[in-house]
Amino acid sequence: MGTNAQPAEVRLTIPADGAYVAVPRAVVGNLAARNDFTVDAIDDLRIAVDEACALLLPQATGGVVECVFTIDKPTLVVEVSADVPETWHPDTTGFGWMVLAALVESVVARNTGGRLAITLTASALSTENA
Amino acid sequence: MTQPDPGGQGELAGPDEPQDLRARTAELFAILSGAGPGDPEHTMARDGLVHLHMPLVEHLARRFRNRGEPYDDLVQVATIGLIKAVDRFDSDRGVEFSTYATPTILGEIKRYFRDKGWAIRVPRRLQELRLSLTAATAELTQELGRAPTVGELSERLGLATDLVIEGLESANAYNTLSLDAPDQNDADSSTVLDALGADDEALESVEYRESLKPLLARLETREKRILTLRFFRGMTQSQIAEEIGISQMHVSRLLARTLTELRAGLLKD
Repeated sequence: MGTNAQPAEVRLTIPADGAYVAVPRAVVGNLAARNDFTVDAIDDLRIAVDEACALLLPQATGGVVECVFTIDKPTLVVEVSADVPETWHPDTTGFGWMVLAALVESVVARNTGGRLAITLTASALSTENA
Repeated sequence: MTQPDPGGQGELAGPDEPQDLRARTAELFAILSGAGPGDPEHTMARDGLVHLHMPLVEHLARRFRNRGEPYDDLVQVATIGLIKAVDRFDSDRGVEFSTYATPTILGEIKRYFRDKGWAIRVPRRLQELRLSLTAATAELTQELGRAPTVGELSERLGLATDLVIEGLESANAYNTLSLDAPDQNDADSSTVLDALGADDEALESVEYRESLKPLLARLETREKRILTLRFFRGMTQSQIAEEIGISQMHVSRLLARTLTELRAGLLKD
């Protein structure tokens, strides 16, 4: 946004409660809309954030989920993280993961000492390079 | 599936697609993906692919012959679908081109019929914005070969970016039609969809969780189809919108709702 070429960061901490997932979903929709994502891609991102939160929520032990949105044009990176059991890792063969993988360019989950982060990466107008 | 079939996708790909056509198609796509857009080679391969598959276009257009539209017009519309399919096809996905192109071409023809007019029931205040967004999205999708950005929509409509964002967001919150409301061309579209009939196989092959099975089985045919096209065929919402004959916004709402339902069901079980 604006004229700055520096990556911009938006941070959001929500209660680990399904009712609040609408907030990061709305945020990612708005950020994507303002950064040249197509209407298709905007919806894909909304669903992806929804899905990432849904994977994380049932395991979140700290009561909160943190979302960090980084805009580094044309790339938008969303990191959704929460405290989880130290050995837990999302099921990457499951339905939720498959949906995630189909929606964004890359999706990575990493558990660092009980902090699980799901990182979604998408680029504006990536359909043009398809 | 009785034996491994490189085409693998049933009746549409089979008899209509002799080996040499397949080989030639693969060859041209290899050239296409090797050359950059604008290269003479790229253009030649693209043209070649379109010409090669004109029989498919004519075959599909013929299915809609007795609906009061000139056959030649239908062929033209269907050819647009073919060109889109050529541009969007990813040969790495392991799907036969004709299998990929058929729904796109049919979608284009169906949209042609659908655009002859359809009713949207929304509050008066939003109706105009919704209509212009839907129309502009369709127009720009056609022109650009992909869904438009908010910036492109606001430029086309001469509206502020914020208003466009608001319009899109309110569209997501609104139910313009009942999920079960039949399309104007419902009888026809179900015929077409039935004729394709590949949903169940695709769904079965990806049922990783046993618990998902009964949940998927409970879904409406259309929702199941949208889910399949989106996640197992990798089509975009706009492409699905064209194929099913509803707006991209409607596809978006249906997808979001279906996923929510599936998740709720999984947690409950």
